[in-house]
Amino acid sequence: MTGHLVSSGDQPIPGIDSSVPHSARVWNYWLGGRDNYPVDRAAGDNYRAAYPRIVDVARAYRYFLARAVRYLAGDAGIRQFLDVGTGLPTVDNTHELAQRIAPQARIVYVDNDPLVLAHARALLTSTPEGVTAYLDGDMHDPASIIDAAGETLDSTKPIALILNGVLGHVADYEEARSIVHGLVGHLPPASYLALADSIHSSAAHEEAGRSYAKTGAVPYTLRTREQIAGFFDGLDLIEPGLVPIGRWRPDPSPFNAPDVDACAAIGYKP
Amino acid sequence: MDPVWAVDAVAEPPGKGELTVGPTALRIIVGARLRSLREAAVVTALDAGHTIRGSHSKISRMEAGKTRFKLRDVGDLLTFYGIGDDEERAEILAMAELANRPPWWSAYGDVIPDWFDAYLGFEQAAGLIRGYDAQFVPGLLQTAGYAEAVIRLSHENMADPEIVRRVDLRMRRQQVLFRPDPVKLWVIMDEAVLRRPVGSPEIMRAQLRHLIGVAALPHVTVQLLPFCAGGHLAAGGPVSIVRFRENLIPDVVYLEHLMTADYYDRPASVARYWDVMNRLSVLAEPPDATLTLLDEIR
Repeated sequence: MTGHLVSSGDQPIPGIDSSVPHSARVWNYWLGGRDNYPVDRAAGDNYRAAYPRIVDVARAYRYFLARAVRYLAGDAGIRQFLDVGTGLPTVDNTHELAQRIAPQARIVYVDNDPLVLAHARALLTSTPEGVTAYLDGDMHDPASIIDAAGETLDSTKPIALILNGVLGHVADYEEARSIVHGLVGHLPPASYLALADSIHSSAAHEEAGRSYAKTGAVPYTLRTREQIAGFFDGLDLIEPGLVPIGRWRPDPSPFNAPDVDACAAIGYKP
Repeated sequence: MDPVWAVDAVAEPPGKGELTVGPTALRIIVGARLRSLREAAVVTALDAGHTIRGSHSKISRMEAGKTRFKLRDVGDLLTFYGIGDDEERAEILAMAELANRPPWWSAYGDVIPDWFDAYLGFEQAAGLIRGYDAQFVPGLLQTAGYAEAVIRLSHENMADPEIVRRVDLRMRRQQVLFRPDPVKLWVIMDEAVLRRPVGSPEIMRAQLRHLIGVAALPHVTVQLLPFCAGGHLAAGGPVSIVRFRENLIPDVVYLEHLMTADYYDRPASVARYWDVMNRLSVLAEPPDATLTLLDEIR
């Protein structure tokens, strides 16, 4: 046998910091997963103690993702997805939802956490007909995300951009807005933006976020409904518009989904 | 890429009526279900024990999957927990009955050490297996030729028929990768596995081709840990972490040694190995780069 194994680069070895909570792992904990460290469970428990509905919120985001991708791959006929802020794998990940409807769907997952990326590369694998790719990218640099995604996605065909509960990681609203507009601006016409984010509606929710930030974790900034509406500037909102997250085209059910402090919409780029 | 695995994998599907999961794993699954139903019904182990003419420790053993089930006991418990005549009841009773039957590999009992039997059950019932190997290609990814060479290494004087049975068993285990709802296998392999030839150059080349073919399957992930990645945490031998499809059952860590094996399912122990595997997965070459490297080495 010949050939030498070389490391893929001279960058410092990416680490896993298990001394500070990480949002992807805390979400995994709230959703009943096992891929989290004690520090994540402690942060998750504290957050839940201050704001018990966070578990409903976390679930509501996943349900919205499922309905949104079904709509996009189904009714809207979208075959390319750019999912920014992948998170740790759970049931019904974006590519599974999309490829169940369209096996040839192509999905680019973007995250900047090494643990999330390792899990995504190993477990978020495509159907033989479609493609999944994984980008080590940072939201703060939308141009490089679009560039790198171009290796997998055809920039002349519509793309659905998914920002599901991630923009709160950008503390400054104007910066968050310019990230969204930077990403959407590079998408071809007839593309979509599916976005959900949390709104501040109670002192308890604020307080939970404040103590979470004190752990050293990247804080999550809650917005107003109007601010979230601002992310959709220049897009046509698909019915029913920007609504509480559980009311965006809910699946038929004898029960109403609990109203949680987050809202969601899908916008169409004309 | 040649689908070499289709040629090399001689695994036959288990015959009709044979159990694919294995009694150990099934008992654990049924036990975990019984426990969650008991807790949901807010019944103490003591009261539950009385219902089946036994003690609370009998309930503990049943719930831990450490004993054969009497169907009458399981039925009485389900009734006591308010699980009437419905699908759930029928499903649990059916699983309890299956758990008393021998699995397909009981036919290989003569070549399965006691300490390995439980792992077979776990492996066959797994949803996800994460593994680290420093010395050999893991069993589920071996060719028959490579498997034979590895088995001969530790059984120098074994007669051929017994070697063949061991190879057969290993090949049949691989069926978990080729069934309709296959197990997800996520393996990290040290570069040494590929550098130290096992058997002969031909056997090693065939093994590499096979590895490349299997690693291309969507549910199989192989990451190479290159020498240049430096020191790492997986002190000692191979590590496997089994995660079951049933969310109620804790993950199990399996560490194989030359003459025995360790099993861990306590959360603190599992968490330690889970962390090690995470760090290795971040350190190792990503799966697509690994495929390129394998292709180069071949």
